[in-house]
Amino acid sequence: MKVVEKNNPVRGLLKEEYQRCQEVLAALSEKAAKYPKGSLNLRKKRHKGKEYAYHYLVAREEGRVVNRHIPEAEVPVLQRQLAERDKCRKEILAYEKRIAYLEKLLRLPRPEVKK
Amino acid sequence: MKILRTVRFPPQIGGLLRALSEVGFFDRSLLIGSWVMPLYRELYGVHYLLRTLDIDFAVHLAHPQKQMRADLERVITDLGFVGFMTAGGIQKFTAAGYEVEFTAHRPGGREIDVVAIREWNINALPLPFVSILTGFSETAKVEDFTIRIPIPEAYFIHKLIVASRRRTVEKREKDLEQCTVLIPILSDNRLHQVVQAQRIAKPTRRSMTRSCDAIAFPLQRLFS
Repeated sequence: MKVVEKNNPVRGLLKEEYQRCQEVLAALSEKAAKYPKGSLNLRKKRHKGKEYAYHYLVAREEGRVVNRHIPEAEVPVLQRQLAERDKCRKEILAYEKRIAYLEKLLRLPRPEVKK
Repeated sequence: MKILRTVRFPPQIGGLLRALSEVGFFDRSLLIGSWVMPLYRELYGVHYLLRTLDIDFAVHLAHPQKQMRADLERVITDLGFVGFMTAGGIQKFTAAGYEVEFTAHRPGGREIDVVAIREWNINALPLPFVSILTGFSETAKVEDFTIRIPIPEAYFIHKLIVASRRRTVEKREKDLEQCTVLIPILSDNRLHQVVQAQRIAKPTRRSMTRSCDAIAFPLQRLFS
């Protein structure tokens, strides 16, 4: 911690890094918000001895769990979008952790968590 | 060419540099910013340990209308990086906290927000003075791939100019600190070559003078 306080270039680098992390976090959050919510589920149904598979997007909407049928043709696109969203979320988590760590190093006040 | 076996990049960065090298990006474009320092350390013995988590590349723009050579957006996202756009419309990529950005030379006096580079299917941040770096570069072989980096003299002069144009003191100090560690390895001959190739306007010369004063570097080594 003392190095951070006394060494200007180190402190500057950390401040710069803190700012950068916040900008990236904002951009990633905006991107993640554009992707569909929920997860893709496969339901299997038997009818007259045959088994049929249907894809459903399960998501929570206003406190309710909603199952939305996804036509087979749209499944690959949706799968790609969900994978991309998960990658985004993983990065968001990494940036949130880094921001918390930098706040500690720079002794910045932690933003209040809305209740 | 010296093979740098001891340069150890983090896996994400090493993978990225290797992938860019394989598609021919480093034929003319180069790695810039503080990530050049580990290579200077191996090549010239300079010691500078501070590194940011953003990895910057300078794109050579000799033939802007060229057809696509490689889809860098795809190459980079296939490595696990997530692409995103900044508020200013600049395309960036991130993985494990590292941030990848491309810059290109912005000719003086022009206000351009973004440069679309069809050759690589990316867009880049236009910045002045990037041509100093792209105009004077060298290659280094890291294990089994080749990276292009600016020669230390070009890196030094670029930093001298941009340092006094920085908005924050911390960035300026970082630039000047990098200049200071490079001083012992600078060749006067190459410094002159770099300076003489530039059309240096009066404000730029003033920036260089201010930076030279700050690090006690004799200006006559640049303009003799």
